[in-house]
Amino acid sequence: MALTETSSLTKDYGTVKALDRLDLQVEPGIIGLVGANGAGKSTLIKILLGLIPPSSGRASVLGLDVVADTHEIRKVVGYMPEHDCLPPDVVATDFVTHMARISGLPRTAARERTAEVLRHVGLYEERYRQIGGYSTGMKQRVKLAQALVHDPKVLLLDEPTNGLDPVGRDEMLDLIKRTGTDFGITVVVASHLLGEIEQVCTYLLAIDAGHLLRSAPISHFTQRTPVLAVEVEEGADRLVVALVARGARAKQDGARVLIALESDALYDAVRDVVADLALPLVRIQQERGRLEDLFRDAAPASGIVQ
Amino acid sequence: MTTEPAPGTAAPMPPSAPAHEPETAHEPEAAILLSHAARWYGNVVAVNDVSFSLGPGVTGLLGPNGAGKTTLLHMLAGFLAPSAGEVRVLGRSPNRDPSVYRQIGLVPEREAVYPFLTGLDYVKFNARLQGMPDADRAAREAIARVGLEDAMDRQIGTYSKGMRQRVKVAGSLVHNPQVLLLDEPFNGMDPRQRIAMMDLLGELAEAGRTILFSSHILEEVEQVGTEILVMVAGRLAASGDFRAIRALMTDRPHTIAIRSSDDRKLATTLMGDPAVFAVELTKTGLSVQTAQLGVFRRLVARTSRDAGVRLLEVVSSDESLESVFDYLVGR
Repeated sequence: MALTETSSLTKDYGTVKALDRLDLQVEPGIIGLVGANGAGKSTLIKILLGLIPPSSGRASVLGLDVVADTHEIRKVVGYMPEHDCLPPDVVATDFVTHMARISGLPRTAARERTAEVLRHVGLYEERYRQIGGYSTGMKQRVKLAQALVHDPKVLLLDEPTNGLDPVGRDEMLDLIKRTGTDFGITVVVASHLLGEIEQVCTYLLAIDAGHLLRSAPISHFTQRTPVLAVEVEEGADRLVVALVARGARAKQDGARVLIALESDALYDAVRDVVADLALPLVRIQQERGRLEDLFRDAAPASGIVQ
Repeated sequence: MTTEPAPGTAAPMPPSAPAHEPETAHEPEAAILLSHAARWYGNVVAVNDVSFSLGPGVTGLLGPNGAGKTTLLHMLAGFLAPSAGEVRVLGRSPNRDPSVYRQIGLVPEREAVYPFLTGLDYVKFNARLQGMPDADRAAREAIARVGLEDAMDRQIGTYSKGMRQRVKVAGSLVHNPQVLLLDEPFNGMDPRQRIAMMDLLGELAEAGRTILFSSHILEEVEQVGTEILVMVAGRLAASGDFRAIRALMTDRPHTIAIRSSDDRKLATTLMGDPAVFAVELTKTGLSVQTAQLGVFRRLVARTSRDAGVRLLEVVSSDESLESVFDYLVGR
């Protein structure tokens, strides 16, 4: 079953159109949701959660209509909001148990599930302390735990690494990935950090100005391109001259030399020229597409491949 | 710039920060200079005996949460006096000499913007605070630099996070300061805005500004520049070009991943070279360890040619900023 389907989904706030006849069909997986600020990401999330009704058009989550089946949707969806939404004077276990009870779990089951999810997100002894004394990373974990406690089929995470330092980010990303793969649930990650999306997601959904910009597997964006990048510590200019003399199409791009990869013999040409000139070789690597290129006007390699 | 040559005031670099060239006595003082600076709050030591100097260009300020980055930026901006040691910006002490504010632009991490002002009013207000003769024109120029013209007549309260971030940057740029201090400037910006902001920082650095910005997103720092300052638990763990810092981490061998037409044969040949001390066959190719990176880089192409092996890919797997950062914070 499709994770979500929308047809002509429109939401306007007065004169501002946040979503403009958006048509989507997304299959389960770990999905990255990106878009410019104001592109309609938050609006889409709120509609999929059944929190606000669309102005027109339809949307469904796992076959449930976002208007007619709001209550059913809440049973199958877990949501981790972006902003700080935790009560500072409540102990984490109590808070998560409370959220489980709200989702309809019986008291005993709520306690057991709470213990499980807090362990899953990496909170142990700290769970008996008040949330107000937590670090940003610990708060993010509590937010994730309350989203998971009722065993949802879909998890919506809004900027889950906001405010985390590099170590905290890596841990959170790893946790998201494990949650998606180990529990086999669908995770939607809204983020501005494309590197992060590339690291954990399998599918990318990009929206822009209320429209669908791109929707494709991540691997589609990071495919190898027919350009070989060679980096040397010094003598990039001499490398270009020597390669061009051998008939290759090469150009310098800062410390790198970009070469059109027309045949495999080119690898040998690079190796031989670097050896002949005795250049210190830093890197030989086929260029890959980058998610960032979606948001850039021209890729640096575009000049030599046409 | 009105800095006088200040012979002998260049701070000695701590032993952990050898990547910086020491200032010579004949040069004017660096734009930013800390000498044994410390700041404590009661018994909490936020910044502990930190010395470094920065000249024009972009430098990324990195460190785990609570490492003292914001305290450091606030001392440079004049909000806080150092508890010990010295903090100087353009040769002056920012917390005692307000005249240096004219040359400092600050983007604080917190959203200290008035929601009821329009973007233009806010930036104009900053321009007037800085005594700009034509505040309106300066404000409009600064807003154009961050690409916020379309929204400048709207109240800041209606802005998205990325727009508020940009209006803060415009406010900090409006008086064309020599020194720019930015605390997590990319926070909340979308991909396109991030790219534009990185380009803007690059342009300002080219124009000779001294820019220090803090960030948690290492791949972004790497895109803006290679100069870094790393704080760990209040102390300066390293400063300078991260590649030079990597080169000094001599207790960690360099690892290079290679894919070739005949990995086994290349492995055998490479093992014969004294610069290589370990070769491992991996699922995708070869993993080579060397303590003499410079030597290895010069021999790898020749060795492969002599062995008749085609090199498909050569990648350093631990030269990234992330790898250097992990090492410095002791992960």
